[in-house]
Amino acid sequence: MLVIRRRLGEAVVIGDDIEVEILDASASHVKLGIRAPKTIPVVRKEIHVVSTQNRASVNEVPPQDLKRLLTAIRRKSSSTTSALR
Amino acid sequence: MEIEFPYGLPGFEQEHKFHITERVGLEPIVFLQSAISPELCFTALPVKAIDPDYQLELSPEEAALLNGTSGISADLLSLAIVAAAEEGPVTVNLLAPVVVNLSRRVGVQAVRSDTRYSHCHPLGEASPCS
Repeated sequence: MLVIRRRLGEAVVIGDDIEVEILDASASHVKLGIRAPKTIPVVRKEIHVVSTQNRASVNEVPPQDLKRLLTAIRRKSSSTTSALR
Repeated sequence: MEIEFPYGLPGFEQEHKFHITERVGLEPIVFLQSAISPELCFTALPVKAIDPDYQLELSPEEAALLNGTSGISADLLSLAIVAAAEEGPVTVNLLAPVVVNLSRRVGVQAVRSDTRYSHCHPLGEASPCS
């Protein structure tokens, strides 16, 4: 990981097309301004993590894994009732 | 039961309608099938069945979407999407539960910004993925 120290108002440039500027900073938050082409998506990291995880989760869970899942759940509680009621 | 997802899901932002169904004998497993792209289907578990003490956190926008203007609703179901990789344990995403208001028929995947829970929490033993 490249580590760069910047003060409020300063910026970094990534490649030729992406610029990140520190717009505001406090003890708990930093506000970043990001200039990038519309073709490059910029998202909060946790959104990217979840997006990738969702795409990996679309594959059907095989029946034997569903059984393992149910065994693990039912060990925790004896509940086998519907979630929708 | 058809649920509206105005924001879709991360990675599937155009999928605005899902059916939530169960299959006899597999309760409490729940299936989230897109009404727009029927081949798209997620397997999920109620978060309470995985961690009864789970603390749900919603952003103001997520709370407003789920509860409307009438304040806190008790009718929220939180579901964790299941992932089964070819190798390794079956995991569930507790970082971003799919939260559904069953009476208003709206849902959102509420992505947490803290690190309290994992996006690949293993069910059973074995270590979480990276």
